[in-house]
Amino acid sequence: MRIGLITEGVCPYVNGDTRLWCDRLVRGLGQHQFDIYALAGGERPEGRGGSPLPPQVGRVRTAPLRTAGDGGARYGRRARRRFAECYGELAAVLCAAGTGDPSSAADAEVSAVEADRFASALYGLAELARDNGGPAGALCFETAVRALERACRAPGAPRPAREARVPDLLAAATHLEHALRPLSLDWYGDDALGSVDLCHATSGGAAALPGLLARHFSGVPLLVTEYGVQLRAHYLAATEASPAVRALLTAFRRRLATEIYRRAAVVTPGNAQARHWQQRCGAHRDKIRTVHPGMRAAHFTEVGESPERADPGTLVWVGRVEPAKDLMSLLHAFAEVRRREPRTRLRVVGTPSGPEGAAYLGHCRALAAQLFPDEAANRHAVGDNPVSFEEIGGPELRSSADAYAAGAVVVLSSVVEGFPAGLVEAMFCGRATVSTDVGAVVEVIGGTGLVVPPRNPRALAEACVTLLRDPERRQRLGAAARARALELFTVEQNTRAFHSIYLEIISHTPARRVLLDDTGEPLPFALPAEAHLPGSWAGAPPRVVARGGPRWALDDAPGEHPAPMSAAEGAVR
Amino acid sequence: MSGLDAGAGERAGGAGAEGEGIGDPGVRHSGVRDSGVRDSGVGESGVGGGGGAHEHVGAGAGAVAGAGVVGDGAAAGRRVVGDPVKALMHTHRELCERAVDPLEIAAGLEAHGVTDRTAAHFRHRDVFSLAEEMYARVPRAGDTPPCAAVPELPRARAGWIVLTLLPGLLCAAAVAGLRLTQGPPRLLTAAAGVLAVALALRAAFRTGPPNGAGHAGAGASSLGPRTWWLAGYALLGDGLLSTAVAGGPDGPPTGTADGPWPVAVAPVMALALACAPAAWCARLFAVRARRRLAASRGLEEFAVSVRPLLLGTLALFLGALTVLLAVCGAVLDQSAAYPQALTLGALLLLARLLVTHGFPHAPAALLTAAASAQATALASVFAGRLPGCDILAAPVDGLVTAWGPAALPTLICGAGAATLLIHAMHTLTKASSHASAEGPW
Repeated sequence: MRIGLITEGVCPYVNGDTRLWCDRLVRGLGQHQFDIYALAGGERPEGRGGSPLPPQVGRVRTAPLRTAGDGGARYGRRARRRFAECYGELAAVLCAAGTGDPSSAADAEVSAVEADRFASALYGLAELARDNGGPAGALCFETAVRALERACRAPGAPRPAREARVPDLLAAATHLEHALRPLSLDWYGDDALGSVDLCHATSGGAAALPGLLARHFSGVPLLVTEYGVQLRAHYLAATEASPAVRALLTAFRRRLATEIYRRAAVVTPGNAQARHWQQRCGAHRDKIRTVHPGMRAAHFTEVGESPERADPGTLVWVGRVEPAKDLMSLLHAFAEVRRREPRTRLRVVGTPSGPEGAAYLGHCRALAAQLFPDEAANRHAVGDNPVSFEEIGGPELRSSADAYAAGAVVVLSSVVEGFPAGLVEAMFCGRATVSTDVGAVVEVIGGTGLVVPPRNPRALAEACVTLLRDPERRQRLGAAARARALELFTVEQNTRAFHSIYLEIISHTPARRVLLDDTGEPLPFALPAEAHLPGSWAGAPPRVVARGGPRWALDDAPGEHPAPMSAAEGAVR
Repeated sequence: MSGLDAGAGERAGGAGAEGEGIGDPGVRHSGVRDSGVRDSGVGESGVGGGGGAHEHVGAGAGAVAGAGVVGDGAAAGRRVVGDPVKALMHTHRELCERAVDPLEIAAGLEAHGVTDRTAAHFRHRDVFSLAEEMYARVPRAGDTPPCAAVPELPRARAGWIVLTLLPGLLCAAAVAGLRLTQGPPRLLTAAAGVLAVALALRAAFRTGPPNGAGHAGAGASSLGPRTWWLAGYALLGDGLLSTAVAGGPDGPPTGTADGPWPVAVAPVMALALACAPAAWCARLFAVRARRRLAASRGLEEFAVSVRPLLLGTLALFLGALTVLLAVCGAVLDQSAAYPQALTLGALLLLARLLVTHGFPHAPAALLTAAASAQATALASVFAGRLPGCDILAAPVDGLVTAWGPAALPTLICGAGAATLLIHAMHTLTKASSHASAEGPW
């Protein structure tokens, strides 16, 4: 199967965590062929980052998105008129008041109409860009600004848009031009995205737009994976622009997200929060498959299988030090724990992130020094503080696994959290955990650890004491956590899940295409029927499959699947 | 609220019973939720159910209620207010006022740690509906947002001012050198002067009043040859034309205004000196236009307000050029050649304005047309000397005899300047031509 993997960021994969994930996905699914299409950011495409590309990567195409200039074509009169029509329609949809809740029926109808208008305008622009090249030049820009002005002044426009001034219109037009730049890429021909069996967009927003267009032009099914919802990230990031610009741009991004979720064959959020956002933006429940991010479990195997290494009186906190982690609350909770279990120690393992984190770490050290005086074993020994602040990489803690191994209970005290990677690592290590109920914590921990409300040191302390006093329960919870993490959060699980989603999509929406010979004539029977089936079909005798098949498949909806029905019946008889 | 908590506790206990049986009431009452360990066969579907169950369990026992159940009456009383959403809105006041969309409030709330469990305290199903209520309740008493700050052009630096003055000063120095030298050194001085002025012009216009440095540089280099031709014609053309009509020229120009091929140094020196006012005027236009851009509410309004600005800029420059021409004419004791020099100056200023605002095509075409018209006129005079081709020279001859040699460049440059002015009135009044080139990203 040929998968078109569309990424956003530096060539060939995006940065950071998603890059790691893409790399693992491509390497893990060697049976498929991957074509990588990267929308490059502002930086110049860098080298391949040391590791050579695996053989299953067919080609890598990078499109610079941020180079300004007159790269596009000048439109003729007719193309300009079409551009004005489509852009005007787009602007009108952006200014239409349609932020309603999709769950109510009347709003749903209105928003469906609006979504259709948006889609037709978007595809109109895309067809124009495919036929005539991307819009360029002052004329198109002026047309765009005028269309935006007209839409903002139209009755029914939202309040911030109505108050748009000329600089706002210019800024919005510039941003929109940038957001629409994927339309003018040359990726949609039969030699590029048109020839793959499945487009896999590794994030929403800009990266999913090429997939959307490939679906529109060539009928290629689209799979969208979002570990963090792009729309949400845009809301959090775009706070400097004026209200009018933000109103227009967020309307565009919301509509685009809705269109992507509507057209995608399958949407895979990384956690429940992302799922809620996607559902809110119009993703249908049936399309959503939550695929948790996978993490490498190998480093933690040794620690996870030796629970006796844990120091029974030690609490461990591991993470990056920043105010959102609420270490203050942890220290107060630890004071309460010490009151009940005087011999307990707390190890805070982590490096501060940025200057803010460093300052916060300083405050925490000061608080710890105030709350807990240094202690010594007897009159002649040198004492130390029951709270120690350490960093990974020292002689004592060579890796994060050592840090988790040192504690009997791993504590997470954040007030804000996305996907808690540290918690998953603790689960891999088979440690009992106490965490605050934030972000995806509850979803990750399942029932295998204690959860307390955030900003509640007393509850945190109580939970810690409960676990400290009950080693047997600690071990039980730790073992269950490790089992759960190995089941759900490994790289293999992640890769497997995507493999099965690929197969599922292909089996539901096979891309039908006609192969052409050298003279441009269609080649009959160039693609045999087996080509549409996943895997090697020739080896498996159909009788065996039919016998092994479940009985309910025979009774289920006989009218809908006539062909398999008859085959199965024949096999049973 | 306490009823809700009791329900949550029961459910928590129920969930725990199947795994581990934590019946410890102390733990549960203090707000710790432990649904116990599920049996180790945690399958994909089983886990999904576990997550769902937790969300229900969590619904009752968030941060606020947790304190209440401990039995700490004071702590509970401290938090209770009549309208919890109002308190929340007060906490996230800035977020609510800034938001253009309920989803923006939802994103902001989630970034501050508000979850669906917290939203349940405000009697909402999820964060989204809580955000919608907050968005709907934000008071919006017709407050107009503050004027969007348009990035001002960077302040003019002293280096730039010196650069704009440089061509004129070098030209003046070259002219002085020509006056003071004789013979072969004079030729060398002339060559060196032309070279120095050329380099200075290049430097001045590369860092001109930019809308985008790219525009200015590209425009300057593409317009270069035509500008040089026009300047050269201003220097030598009138003399050549009058001599040619009279049957000459019989030798190269001597560099004086009263020789057989007179050289008009004064207008060229004035034009070189006028580089500085031209650059300042262009900058003034860009700065003022940006201010009007920030102040105007509609595109039409902006266009109407920019038109007088453009005309004023042109008039200002022409006034400065007139003064310079008068001064140069007086100093050099030559004819100032007002009509030719003023029309040429207007043409070049308009071309410069258009190029710096991103419209290089029309100026290029018009300067080419003007230069080739002048060249054709000169060539036609000489072509008229060929036998049987008298008719070719007739129009130019007639023009020169009727109005003098100055009529030809005046007509050509004047027509070009008028055309460019009409074009500029159309394009430079568009808001898009004043968008900052570097872009907001």
